[in-house]
Amino acid sequence: MTEKEQKKISAATREGKQQDGAASGDDKGVVAEPGAPPGGRERRLRQTTLPPHFVERRKRPRIQTQQPPPPAPPRMEDYAAIIGLPELDEIRFLARHLQHKTVKMVNSTAVGGGVAEILNRLVPLMNELEVPTKWEVITGGNDFYEVTKGFHNALHGGEYNLTEQIQDIFNSYNEQNRQRMEFAEDLFVIHDPQPVGLVRSKADTRGRWIWRCHIDLSNPHPGVWGFLKPMVEQYDATIFSSPAFTRQLSVPQYLFYPSIDPLSEKNKELEESYVDKVCDDFGIDRSRPILTQISRFDRLKDPVGVIAAYKLVKKYVDCQLVLAGGGATDDPEGAVVLQEVMEAAGDDPDVIILNLPPWSALEINALQRASTIIIQKSLKEGFGLTVTEGLWKEKPVVAGAVGGIPNQIIHKLTGVLVHSVEGCAYQVRYLLTHPEFANQLGKNGREHAKENFLITVNLKRWLLLFQILLGMARPSKPG
Amino acid sequence: MATQSAAHPHWARAPFYFNSAAHLLRISREKAGNLEELLEAIRTCSDTCIFQHTFQTLEEHHFIREGFSNDFSHWAFSSCNEVELAERLAAIDVREFTSIADLRERLVDILEDYLKKNSRAASRPAMEPFYMMAAELVVVPTPYVARNLEEFADGLRKVSIHGIYYHFIDARLRIKLNNNDFSVWLEKELDMGAAADRLNRIDIYTSTLEGVRRNILRTIESEIARG
Repeated sequence: MTEKEQKKISAATREGKQQDGAASGDDKGVVAEPGAPPGGRERRLRQTTLPPHFVERRKRPRIQTQQPPPPAPPRMEDYAAIIGLPELDEIRFLARHLQHKTVKMVNSTAVGGGVAEILNRLVPLMNELEVPTKWEVITGGNDFYEVTKGFHNALHGGEYNLTEQIQDIFNSYNEQNRQRMEFAEDLFVIHDPQPVGLVRSKADTRGRWIWRCHIDLSNPHPGVWGFLKPMVEQYDATIFSSPAFTRQLSVPQYLFYPSIDPLSEKNKELEESYVDKVCDDFGIDRSRPILTQISRFDRLKDPVGVIAAYKLVKKYVDCQLVLAGGGATDDPEGAVVLQEVMEAAGDDPDVIILNLPPWSALEINALQRASTIIIQKSLKEGFGLTVTEGLWKEKPVVAGAVGGIPNQIIHKLTGVLVHSVEGCAYQVRYLLTHPEFANQLGKNGREHAKENFLITVNLKRWLLLFQILLGMARPSKPG
Repeated sequence: MATQSAAHPHWARAPFYFNSAAHLLRISREKAGNLEELLEAIRTCSDTCIFQHTFQTLEEHHFIREGFSNDFSHWAFSSCNEVELAERLAAIDVREFTSIADLRERLVDILEDYLKKNSRAASRPAMEPFYMMAAELVVVPTPYVARNLEEFADGLRKVSIHGIYYHFIDARLRIKLNNNDFSVWLEKELDMGAAADRLNRIDIYTSTLEGVRRNILRTIESEIARG
């Protein structure tokens, strides 16, 4: 097919948009119009034997343009089908001992960001278990959030000029919030560095104080860490997401892996017909292997390296690569990276690039479920929850051995760790040609996620920690 | 029910109370960047660390049928590329140990011996550091109680996998015997020494914990069928 012919088909299909729109209008008002092509302009794809509708969708994927209403949050009993009744009973048993013990969780934002997402799920479940839990958000002016953003980057190793004025801004907003809040609960969980100074109220309370650090402190700016550390060491316990993210502290440090909710839009089971529909919307051919990396367009996720690995695989195995993520619309750097990705993909019709809006959880879920292999070839990573999502969906995962990924992938047992483009390509080829091994990795990966990375496991950890800190449970000493 | 006569072969003298265990991981100070540092960390870390990386890790990875024995062996293989050492550490069978002190001694012996013969391996940097973790284990009672074999089988079916781990693997350190809670109960309360023995021979290293549960159940169900 010539480019001219392809354009004709594209135009014809665009004219048929009304029909498509009408058809999808049955989906309870969810509009599924053809979205803007990634990068804002249509990709030129070389001739292919793919059916025309695939080509059209690859150029102009049907991306949901309206945010759907949020679904009702799940209840504890809904998890029984996933973790089993005995496990659920154990959680209820741990919670029963804590009934009437009150908890306050404090962070710096009510919406957006991973911590708010976690608390949105965790707090209702705690309350349902009759462990009364309040969630409060600190307030601050732009100057405070500029300082905390600077701290965030500095704690990840960035350069920073910590002046006295900056310290004063941080301290005064923490003090304002401390004066505004009441601290009458039995347990206080303070999330991340922004509200860390609230611990100054500890002496006036009867409760136990926990600092939950969601960020990687392995290589912090010494000045900023030196400023925060005395506050952190006033807590009764601290929690980190990986042993690799910690610092030496005089207070106990616990390990709580981040978790996913198996009943969320991103992770719940889907009808096969819905997975088909999403693949159809994006022009993905389910009859051939699908390699997928889900992540925002960010150089640290190495999307260009993934394309290079795909090209090496493609010499031997006919497959497609899906690179799906967001961040290219509201982040100038993301747009630049997306452009680099488009250039690296060139006119290869089997590289499918999707710049998705933030409300695409269901579509991402479907893409992961349709995938033959999930890739997360990050060069630097936090915990890597997209890896967790892949493991949970019983997919073989090939991922960079960085950040929290080695906590999730036990090499060749629950997935495969790689260190280079060539290694990634080799492992993908091996898995594509050894489906039994790939299936076993997927099965082990799901069990690993079930055992360690589900919200129910995290809930159990919180209940256990609360009991230990309140002296209600005493850990047994091994012989 | 504890006073039920043992004359009926299926009524126990005392009931079996199924428990489970929940654990938290505490990040320890010790960290190793090479084998020499691992040896030092093993010598000095708390008992709860040794317990975590040998006993408890079996529970955490209970779904893996082969290729996983303990965290030290896995690290020696995947991060240090010391295959022989990994093999020797993997061959440690926690069921042979009724005390952490003995288990620590065995680990130290193997590492010392290996590093004596392979001195250059001692300071070779590992690809990833080894972080010592300590397990804080809390016992969680369950509603399941068995007064006879039928109830025992029912409890085995219903208890979580953590309960199977607690009674079948963790038990050794508590009862200080090369045995498990299930076998002890069968033998002591039901005079079923042969069945107890069969249970104790189930291999935890070549089976998942679900597989262990199925094996135990098979033994109990065949005893029930025999009447």
